Amino acid sequence: MKFAPLILKHLRKNWIRTLSTVLAMSVCIFLFCTLQTVVEAVNFGLHSGNASRLVTRHYVSLVYNLPLNYKAKIAGIPGIKQTVMNAWFGGIYRDPKNFFANFATEPEAFLQIFPEVILPPDQKERWLHDQRGCIIGRKLAQRFGWKVGDTFELESSIPPYRIGHPFDFVVDGIYDSSQQSFDLNSMYFNYKYLYEATGRNIGIGWLTEQIDDPSHAGAISKAIDAEFENTDTPTKTETEQAFLAGFVAMAGNLALLLNGIGLAVAFTILLVTANTMSIAVRERQQEIGVLKTLGFSSGLVMSLILIEALLIAALGGLVGLLLSKGMLGILPEVPMIGDVVAQYPSFGLSARTALLGVGFALLLGVAAGFLPAMNGYRTRITETLRQV
Amino acid sequence: MSTTEIAARAGAVSVQDVRKFYQRDSMQIKVLDGLSLEVPEGEFLALMGPSGSGKTTLLNLIAGIDRATSGRVVVAGTYLGSLSEGELAKWRSRNVGFIFQFYNLIPVLNAVENVELPLLLTSLSGRERRERALTALRIVGLADRSKHYPRQLSGGQEQRVAIARAIVTDPKVLVADEPTGDLDSQSAEEILDLIQTFNRDFGKTIIMVTHDPRAAARAHTQRHLEKGVLTA
Ligand SMILES: Nc1ncnc2c1ncn2[C@@H]1O[C@H](COP(=O)(O)OP(=O)(O)O)[C@@H](O)[C@H]1O
Ligand SMILES: [Mg+2]
Repeated sequence: MKFAPLILKHLRKNWIRTLSTVLAMSVCIFLFCTLQTVVEAVNFGLHSGNASRLVTRHYVSLVYNLPLNYKAKIAGIPGIKQTVMNAWFGGIYRDPKNFFANFATEPEAFLQIFPEVILPPDQKERWLHDQRGCIIGRKLAQRFGWKVGDTFELESSIPPYRIGHPFDFVVDGIYDSSQQSFDLNSMYFNYKYLYEATGRNIGIGWLTEQIDDPSHAGAISKAIDAEFENTDTPTKTETEQAFLAGFVAMAGNLALLLNGIGLAVAFTILLVTANTMSIAVRERQQEIGVLKTLGFSSGLVMSLILIEALLIAALGGLVGLLLSKGMLGILPEVPMIGDVVAQYPSFGLSARTALLGVGFALLLGVAAGFLPAMNGYRTRITETLRQV
Repeated sequence: MSTTEIAARAGAVSVQDVRKFYQRDSMQIKVLDGLSLEVPEGEFLALMGPSGSGKTTLLNLIAGIDRATSGRVVVAGTYLGSLSEGELAKWRSRNVGFIFQFYNLIPVLNAVENVELPLLLTSLSGRERRERALTALRIVGLADRSKHYPRQLSGGQEQRVAIARAIVTDPKVLVADEPTGDLDSQSAEEILDLIQTFNRDFGKTIIMVTHDPRAAARAHTQRHLEKGVLTA
């Protein structure tokens, strides 16, 4: 770019003005990227489904089972969308030191209630139609080198499940998760398999329910527990992460507030930058007249001014990104806020947000430079170079 | 030779029955009213006249930085009225060099960068541009000041840098608007020597506005403008 010296020397000559505008811009982009990331994390928490899942277990302890008919009874309670029965299996692979969590569940309902479990469609199909099949987490698969189609045996360690007769399983799928909190070291298999193999005399370990509105979590929990209050087997129901229920309503307002702040700052920076640029152009009326006399076209003069504004914006954007990256790096360590953002998988400045930030900076640059550039475009030589 | 034939010559200037009016509010100011002027190629013309008589206006029309209200201006074989704004800008960059009374160097650029400016519009490489700019500075005797900024130069030196900038693209026509108006007599003499050299040794057509009779004496021809009319 042969015009670079002209642009750069202007920026350097007025370095205080350049620096303060760049800093203003960087604060704007810092806020934009940081808020954007936090809002995304908050929204993610809002939509992750955690708050819309309840867990019902025996009132006393998880080790006591619930009767099988509880599933149907709970499914009938208003607000319940879906339920899934689970049981802790406690199977050992060859040696107790090979421990990993393994659960019996209802494949179809399980996959619906836990959408964060990601399974290729063909593997999912396979698992749904294979009573002896199981799915294992990516990390578990890596640990034992298991691939789809491999078989292995688990020895049950819990009395009702026929000790001395190992259960054999086929790996139907290897799952990943869209959410960091979902464990990739577990194994899930069909409840029916366990049920049949144990002579149909086992109960439910716990039930997970999906409800249609997270803000009703409290009321629905109470309704479930009330249903079984005066029976031999009372229940205890709570949200998967109880604190989220109260958080849900707040998160929406928080996002609104943060976006509002971001927008106000962006607007201010736009004015600051536009002001800087128009002063710069006004100071340079004579120079623009000279350039045009020398044969610089109006379009070229306009581009030079726009590029100058874009340069300030890009520089500010870059500094802002760095600041944001630093801030987002320490945010998870901050009490309270850290807990909130930690739910978000790989919390930090994403490439997408960084790109958005730079794009936003450039947009502000163009917006700020546009009127001054038009001014430069329209400048008439005879008006600026008139000698008195 | 007919007028058009003269105009067709590379360095010649032909102004034919040109009017230039300015509109100020409801008032129409007639700056030039039917002015004609023929300047053959290689001529050195001094344009004199009282302040406000329209000298700068005429110079601007010839240099293609302003347009006549009516009439024809033909410079270096081009009828300027037929060019669009963009074409006119391009034409200026190739055919005319300007020398102003107040030099009009760009303060943030050093001498050689100032001289290089018009070359930025060409397809020359960075090295070629720099070489040519340095050559132009050498011609005006300022090779040793190439890295100096305008504020570090005297008025006479600034004007010499401005002259280097005017000739760096090797235009056929040079226009100068009171080039010595802001200089002491010693510097003025040096500037006039330079301008004369460009006319005599490089064959440039020169139109110079001046108040100074000693400057005008350097020219081949002197014309007087009064109230928008050439009187002599
Ligand atoms: N852009 C303009 N708008 C209105 N009037 C102008 C403009 N430029 C020049 N004039 C008027 O035209 C007249 C001639 O100006 P100019 O050509 O600059 O004279 P000179 O250079 O001979 O002193 C003056 O009266 C001046 O006020
Ligand atoms: Mg004048």
